[in-house]
Amino acid sequence: MRGKVLTGLVGLMLAGSMMASSQDLSPEEEIKQVQEFNKLMAEGINPGEIWAEMGKEAFKKYNLDKCDFGLGPGKIEGALAQLPRYFPDAGKVMDLETRIGWCLQKYANMKPEEVKKFVMQCWGKSQCMGEYDAIVMYISMASNGQPIKVNLKDPHVKRMYEIGKRIFYARVGPWDFNCATCHAGTKVSTIRATVLWSMDRGEVGKAVSIFPKYLVRWYQPMTMHYRYAECMRQMRWPTFEPHSDLGVALSTFLYGSANGTPIKVPGIGR
Amino acid sequence: MKRAGFILTVLLVGMGLGQAQTDKLEQEAMKILKEGLDKNPQFAWKLQQDESQRICSRYPSREKMPAKEIQKVMELNAKAIQYPQWGIYWGDWKEGQKIVDSPRGGRYATYGFSDKPTDKGGNCYACHLIEKGKPGGTMGPSLTGYGKRYGITKENMNTPETIEKQKTVYNIVYNSWSVFPCSAMPRFGYHGVLSPEDVMNVVTFLLHPDSPVNK
Repeated sequence: MRGKVLTGLVGLMLAGSMMASSQDLSPEEEIKQVQEFNKLMAEGINPGEIWAEMGKEAFKKYNLDKCDFGLGPGKIEGALAQLPRYFPDAGKVMDLETRIGWCLQKYANMKPEEVKKFVMQCWGKSQCMGEYDAIVMYISMASNGQPIKVNLKDPHVKRMYEIGKRIFYARVGPWDFNCATCHAGTKVSTIRATVLWSMDRGEVGKAVSIFPKYLVRWYQPMTMHYRYAECMRQMRWPTFEPHSDLGVALSTFLYGSANGTPIKVPGIGR
Repeated sequence: MKRAGFILTVLLVGMGLGQAQTDKLEQEAMKILKEGLDKNPQFAWKLQQDESQRICSRYPSREKMPAKEIQKVMELNAKAIQYPQWGIYWGDWKEGQKIVDSPRGGRYATYGFSDKPTDKGGNCYACHLIEKGKPGGTMGPSLTGYGKRYGITKENMNTPETIEKQKTVYNIVYNSWSVFPCSAMPRFGYHGVLSPEDVMNVVTFLLHPDSPVNK
């Protein structure tokens, strides 16, 4: 069954990549592809599977079975649902991706610069199958169905939540944007053809519970930290540093505000 | 009397502490924000918050802002408007159209993309509908037929009333916060993203009777 699923997916992705090489997709074509993928998802065929398979291998290869994501070394079932959290061994609050980066340094002997390269290998590319994205997908999918439960009673977590909240509303940069410019307000609004999720309409759970998200226009999944980087690029901010406290603060505010929403990875998007 | 003074002191100290606490978190948030971005010194100035940005950051929306703060932001930004050397005049709507159309202006992330820091553009279609039939966003108001709706015709193009209307639109494009404090619209002229001449061309594109916006 799994073999058949994977063959089907590879076929679909190849068809997509052929279209991509001829020209970029129009919004209508993208929306059609999202619908097709959603149909496949309903039948149990999941584009995340390919990455999850690859991630499972990489997880072992980089000794991440020694990594404690909050539930004990190597335990990933439900791990994403309780992150970000405070890790006494690191003395810091970390979200999933930051924790992976920390463990890659500790158990795979990667230097910080190597971790950064590993994380960013697929940024700004399409049809890129990176081991890092695969690892994030593998761990995230192991929390499918579990409701998000960030422990906001922990003072470390609560502090990061408050900082993340202030960052969400900080007007910065030569274009005066903050996260809320696009992701707040009671009125439904769009940027070009894209409908924006809004903090004020209680849609934050819907937005974060589906990350990493499979993007049909790039034929690859997008991790949360890559999503932050893309938002900041659009906001005319400098390049986002993956695994920075900036990312952790945003994750704490966003996932903390999404408490109770079941995780459903990967989401499908344009 | 003494008691009232004591209570007042306690209240003032309490308020002071509350304020200090908030400011500390604000400062820490800004520090963490800057540390999480590319530290190329060339870009550092872009992340210095000005007073208006600091005020706007404190409120989740304009509805939640005290009137005094709204007033303050409008005053600060009205003061910061500069006009072209020759004052308000009709520019070139075709040049304005180019700036309105370009989505790439001002981006400077360093991974994977071809955005050049020199790319100029307002990315106006992200938020506005402008020319009839061209897809746009709905975050900002529709600008279709802007000049026509404003009553600008070939006959009254150079009357003092029309020049006043041009000036109003110039102020919005150059520094939106002088009219709509803390709105989502970037202050293009204020930050030097667009020159006064660029802004004049954009205004011409929006208002000129010959522009496709008003066809």
